[in-house]
Amino acid sequence: MKVLVIEDDSDAAAFVKGVLSDAGHFVDVCGDGDSGLKQAKGGEYDALVVDRMLPGLDGIQLMKGYRDSGGRAPALFLSALGEVDHRVEGLQAGGDDYLVKPYAPSELVARVEALGRRATGEIPTTRLAVGGLEMDLLARTVHRDGQKIDLQPREFRLLEFLMRHAGQVVTRTMLLEKVWDYHFDPQTNVIDVHVSRLRGKIDKDFERPLLHTVRGAGYRLEA
Amino acid sequence: MKIGSLPALVRTTTFRLALLHASIFILFSASLLAYLYYETAGHMSRQAETELNAEFQELSAAYRGGIDRLNQAVTERSQARGKFYYLLLDGNGQKLSGDFDVLPAAAPAGQVVDVQFEYDARTPDGEPSRLSAEGRISRLSEGGVLMVAYDVGQLGEMNRRISEVVWRSAAVGFVLSLIGGVVISRSAAQRAEQLARTTEGVMAGDLTRRAPVLGSGDEFDKLSEQLNAMLAKLERLVISSRSAGDSIAHDLRSPLTRLRNRLEAGLKDDDGPREALVKSIDDVDSLLETFNAVLRLSRVQAGATGSFRRTDVRGMVDELAELYQPVCEEKELGWVYEAKGELFVLADSHLIAQALSNLLDNAVKYTPVGGAVRMTASHDANGDVVISVVDSGPGIPAQDRERVIERFVRLEQSRSEPGSGLGLSLASAVAEAHSGKLVLADGSGPPGRPGLKASIVLPAA
Repeated sequence: MKVLVIEDDSDAAAFVKGVLSDAGHFVDVCGDGDSGLKQAKGGEYDALVVDRMLPGLDGIQLMKGYRDSGGRAPALFLSALGEVDHRVEGLQAGGDDYLVKPYAPSELVARVEALGRRATGEIPTTRLAVGGLEMDLLARTVHRDGQKIDLQPREFRLLEFLMRHAGQVVTRTMLLEKVWDYHFDPQTNVIDVHVSRLRGKIDKDFERPLLHTVRGAGYRLEA
Repeated sequence: MKIGSLPALVRTTTFRLALLHASIFILFSASLLAYLYYETAGHMSRQAETELNAEFQELSAAYRGGIDRLNQAVTERSQARGKFYYLLLDGNGQKLSGDFDVLPAAAPAGQVVDVQFEYDARTPDGEPSRLSAEGRISRLSEGGVLMVAYDVGQLGEMNRRISEVVWRSAAVGFVLSLIGGVVISRSAAQRAEQLARTTEGVMAGDLTRRAPVLGSGDEFDKLSEQLNAMLAKLERLVISSRSAGDSIAHDLRSPLTRLRNRLEAGLKDDDGPREALVKSIDDVDSLLETFNAVLRLSRVQAGATGSFRRTDVRGMVDELAELYQPVCEEKELGWVYEAKGELFVLADSHLIAQALSNLLDNAVKYTPVGGAVRMTASHDANGDVVISVVDSGPGIPAQDRERVIERFVRLEQSRSEPGSGLGLSLASAVAEAHSGKLVLADGSGPPGRPGLKASIVLPAA
């Protein structure tokens, strides 16, 4: 993926660039809002990573300007401001995701890759398939190797999210936000419990596991 | 306020209003008195004028019969000793009849003129006196002059008396209304002064100062009440941020010291600093978590929260139940969830969910294997919405319940568990931000190990 990072703090920018480059992406960096907007409009980027507080044009204005000029690349806001109203403001300005500083490198990579996938793969679909696992979004049924698997509604949504991001690392925080719409971290391991229940249903009776735990990061559904 | 500080008094708004009030009062009474004057003294003058006109009309009627007829009429009238005095002169200026001997010296020229003059006369008792008179002089068409006059002495006296009364009333009224203004101004100024003293005291650092409320229910009382409410809130905020500062200093210093020691030890460790680094990252993560919790708590306590909407508590609690039920089952805890009735509150649902999640985290954390966790949502007897999380853990002794809501307070037996000590503080702050409260009570356990019942009580919407 080709990613544009707009971040004025050079240490932070170097860190983001390093993390994304290590994950195999091409990264350009811009140090202020005005040149960032110019470069975002000019280049063909697969995703933008935008710091909220920038000299000159701030992140919110930059995002509005970019969307108004017809820019389509999905964007992730980075910000130290993490309250719900800040997130809403960022998403309303045209951002697609919002990551609060400080964050784990794996969280950043997982979210940027999820954005890239969304931009290319967000075609309305009625079927998802990973390995022998098939999900019918209309009938709301799941089969693996032809065998029907019964899921609770929330488990269905959890699996749907994992299948839509198959092959990518999905963090616990992402799951809490996207599947449960909670923007805080419970102290107990609620997500792990739900994922392990889901794993019990889709992997237990099968030889090859699909749902993998990625240590220190989250989960990945992969054939 | 001291009597001597008059300039300060003059500067007060109330005094100016009192002065304005006095001026309006003066203007009003002046018009009233002027009207009174017009209706009394003025009326008498006009009355005399009318009578004079009538007299002249009658005399000109007599004059149509010739100068002799007129002379006769004047003589009769003069002798009748009526209200009027007369003088009739012939064409040569010789007196024909009347009470005067000559025209007054100041008589102006003209066909018909009004005159004012003084003359010497005798009172009916024969005493000489000098009288003021007003009258009219008419030059007759065939030569000769007729003057009719009347004594204005009496009238003038009356006028003088009346105008004197008018001026005195005005003066007395002005003085009285000024005094009234000063009295009103001083009592109002005193209240304002008390408020000013209160705020001065607060600015000097005494946050316990409050403005006096006299119970009269007037504007000053309302202002004082508002000010007191504001000061109470301010005091709470200052105390809470002060204690937050203390707590942060206390609770963050030790993990930071530990982190520093670990890093230093890792530096000296020849086997490689990897182990130390991994542990340090864990330390930093937990520090950040604490820090975020402090910030969130401060935000909630400062009231800088998102918008409140009418929210269905049931939907929210259903979702939380669904989130936590597997966690309880995993830990082999009994799980019960009950919700009754239509439960709506005015709330920021994210905050309420977080507060409840803190309570559920605590319940799961402190309830031993084999225990039970129960979540209920319903109306209480007052119609408020109550969401309770009940566990069968060790509970919190009654005397500690106030304290655990404070920031960073963790009871001895919970020190070994992970956590920031902010969970209950946040739940309480969230409840208060919604005009509700967090209530702690004994839970479902047996005596000696009563468990905890933590309830968030919110006003129904």
